[in-house]
Amino acid sequence: MKKSTLLLAILVLGQALHGQIATVIPSSTSIALTSVADTHTWSPFNNPAMLGYLVSPEFAIQFENRYLLSELSTKSVQLALPTALLNTGISFSHFGYSLYHEMLLGIAFARNFSDKFALAVQFNYYTAYFSASNAYHGAFLPQIGLSVRFSKVFSLGFNTFNPFQTNIETEFVVKRVPTIFSIGTEYFFSPDFVWRTQLEKEVSSNYRGAMGFEYQLLKNFEFKVGAYGSDYLVPCLGIGFITGAFLVDLNCELHPLLGLNTLAALKYRFGK
Amino acid sequence: MYMFGFLICSCGVRAQDAVSITEQTIADIFEQYAAESDENIEYDTFYEDLMFCARNPINLNKATREELERLPFLSAIQVENILAYVYLHGPLVTLYELQLVEGLDMTDIRRMIPFVVAGEAAETNRKIYWIDLLKYGKNELYFRLDKGLETKEGYRFLPEEDVNAPQTQTGNYLGNQLYSSLKYRFHYKDRIQVGITAEKDAGEQFWGSTRKGYDFYSFYAQLNNVGKFRTIVLGDYRANFGQGLVLHSDFGLGKSSYVLNVTPRNSGLKKCGSTDESNFFQGGGVTLQLKKFDLTAFYSNKWIDGDTVNGTFQGMIQTGSHRTPAELSNKHTVNQQIIGGNVTFTRMNLQVGATIVHTLLDNKLRPDKTVYNYFYFSGNKQTTGGVFYRLRWKKLNLFGETALTGHGARATLNGCYFNPVSQVSMVVLHRYYAPEYDTFYASTFSETSRVTNESGVYIGIEVRPFRKWKFAAYADSYRFPWPRYGIDAPSVGTDCLLQADYTVNRDMAMYWRFKVEDRQTNLSPAGAVMPVVVSRKKASMRYNLTYSVGHFGFKNVLEGNLSRRATSEPTYGILASQDMSYELTVIPLKIDFRYQVFDAAEYDNRIYSYEKDVLYAFSIPMYYGLGSRYYLNLKYKLNKQFSFWFKVAQTVYADDRESVGSGKEAITGNRKTDMRLLVKWEF
Repeated sequence: MKKSTLLLAILVLGQALHGQIATVIPSSTSIALTSVADTHTWSPFNNPAMLGYLVSPEFAIQFENRYLLSELSTKSVQLALPTALLNTGISFSHFGYSLYHEMLLGIAFARNFSDKFALAVQFNYYTAYFSASNAYHGAFLPQIGLSVRFSKVFSLGFNTFNPFQTNIETEFVVKRVPTIFSIGTEYFFSPDFVWRTQLEKEVSSNYRGAMGFEYQLLKNFEFKVGAYGSDYLVPCLGIGFITGAFLVDLNCELHPLLGLNTLAALKYRFGK
Repeated sequence: MYMFGFLICSCGVRAQDAVSITEQTIADIFEQYAAESDENIEYDTFYEDLMFCARNPINLNKATREELERLPFLSAIQVENILAYVYLHGPLVTLYELQLVEGLDMTDIRRMIPFVVAGEAAETNRKIYWIDLLKYGKNELYFRLDKGLETKEGYRFLPEEDVNAPQTQTGNYLGNQLYSSLKYRFHYKDRIQVGITAEKDAGEQFWGSTRKGYDFYSFYAQLNNVGKFRTIVLGDYRANFGQGLVLHSDFGLGKSSYVLNVTPRNSGLKKCGSTDESNFFQGGGVTLQLKKFDLTAFYSNKWIDGDTVNGTFQGMIQTGSHRTPAELSNKHTVNQQIIGGNVTFTRMNLQVGATIVHTLLDNKLRPDKTVYNYFYFSGNKQTTGGVFYRLRWKKLNLFGETALTGHGARATLNGCYFNPVSQVSMVVLHRYYAPEYDTFYASTFSETSRVTNESGVYIGIEVRPFRKWKFAAYADSYRFPWPRYGIDAPSVGTDCLLQADYTVNRDMAMYWRFKVEDRQTNLSPAGAVMPVVVSRKKASMRYNLTYSVGHFGFKNVLEGNLSRRATSEPTYGILASQDMSYELTVIPLKIDFRYQVFDAAEYDNRIYSYEKDVLYAFSIPMYYGLGSRYYLNLKYKLNKQFSFWFKVAQTVYADDRESVGSGKEAITGNRKTDMRLLVKWEF
């Protein structure tokens, strides 16, 4: 009973909310999911161009819980390896539980072109477990990212996930895989205070607009606030800590209808 | 001819003095607050408090946070920045130095100037002598009359079908159409304030079988800084503590284009001379200052209106109208006793306090319970207590309050102001008010007028990217976890606002305001077993341009909105107005004139528009239908003692309606005309 209720909940949420069909894509640690122009953070399966700006290897794990239901959680890991020629990143994400789950594995290649812009391409393999056929089915999906630095304080980002709208077709069902186009801006009022905006479209959902502010209050403490909206306006708050080579991010969103969404991320930066 | 001579005799008075500039500044500030409000916000207290500040300017070099918080247009961040500037850099030499304070622009400074000074610190608790009261005390007397020209249904005493029916049995109004109020005010610096208010609403009897004299009387006396006593109040007063979750009966802040000013000010005990007949305490209270502690105790005993039957009543009646036998039968039927206290500890970066209030009614409040008001308070005893805090840490100003009622219902409000860079100020506020939390005197940030059954997050931001530009925006996402009036199911909503202000120069300013509201409303009939709620969206835009040329002042407003319920077709509302004011140089006469047209077919598209009025009055009429409105407002300052205000306004509907208003307030025809006269005598 519990399992079927959960399945029903996932389906209903998937229908009702934008972005819920993209639950396998981990939320970014950038506040209000404004990662597309965040030149300081590479978030898995978000804009891969940000990988190009990394100068040292890093490893991160992330856990995201939706609406206090453990079955609606997304877990992810990522590893970035910068080199002189290309920066390479590997990421993996898992959403769901035993009866229903989706997984995403990706490898990204990015390059920073003289700090003027960064370009990246990512190859993802998406797979989901279908209980009807008791089997996994999957598909390859490309992803392209771009970040342009117009000045030291202003930059623009663009990202597309699954631009060819590839879906998974099985004997019984057609599983839609999200296709997302995102564009956003980043503006530094000061080195400690950044403002980001993002406009996003998942082809079968409403537009999503987002805005976020991140403020480095202390050397090792960051305060984040923002909001995004499509069908509902969702306010977001977060904090970030830096202790040596470790970065910890704790974000939360309060959906007016569904409740609390929380995210915790731990990142280790080699050589710091 | 006599009138002409009368006017000429008073030529010595300057056409535009400091007082009229201050009055205009106060009205402008209030308009910003009230422009988006559907509620009738009390203007007379707002005006009186700010006018008091103008007459007793706040010395910035000695000001406390509480004193600066009397200026409602200053955000909490600006207050903190002024205090920090004086603390770090020493006393201000001149007000021009305010330009160096972070987060203050020229518009803010211009608004502040009438209410502040930068001078030597004066002794605040000098002994008061009777001779000083007589010599330096200021007396003011205000007399106001209002009258509608058209006869309303409630004044038609003799129905055609029964010409012999006695007046008291027809259910019509017992009194005449005149509204009248009389106010006396005395103040000696900022130390002593005494006032008497008397009021008769239109339709109330002034002299007759049911009443001899005014319907409502009010008296207050307030003494400040008397020995260890910070404040002593007697008569009618109000009490405001913390963030307003337990006790706040004064002018409340909420969502407005002052996006950073979202929580009430902690102003303690304060006299009340308002004509509002319900929102005050009656008795006395004191605030004692003991080093860093302020201790307050107060008691109130007053009669309130209620539909009392057999020792119970369904609700408090707060209209203050006693025009018909039925309304009179509800007058002063319930005795309300209130006792409460507060303790507040204040240090440089920290303030914490606790408030408790207990109410005892001599009749039981028993609302007629349905689903939406299932959790409304019932009984005759209510106790509410709360703790509040304010903490400045680095650039963060944290604030909040948590309150509990006697039967365990909770409410909490917490937030943070911060000013990361000089051009940007922000506020984030979270609130949660349980459906069971229903207390009499709470008034704080809320989507509705009741502080109950709501949770949400508000984010406000103000950015000054360039010298003449200011952008203000807020987003508020909220939820009602229990049905409320008009919505038979739990519901959610969103409000967003963006305002861009451009100040061209001293004589010209404009702003654009965009607002989007998304709320839910019943689709199914009220009380349906399976209620269905749908979205109701409204987007509105306003362009406001003010400019002056010599003694002429102009203002243009263009406002429009689009509203849509669920999948139905959108409906629109439009309003356009032209204001003109002129100050004569030969006589001290100021003339304000407005002409406006409106076209808002549906109630959902109604538009509120502020208009100038006589002193102590403030009109924000609501427009819907098709029509026009015009008014003429005159202010004449005869000499230093006497000033006169006169206003006449008329609304003409062009949508073929045969009556204006409804019930006893209905007027036959398509016109509504109002006149007001106010006389002020200073001595």
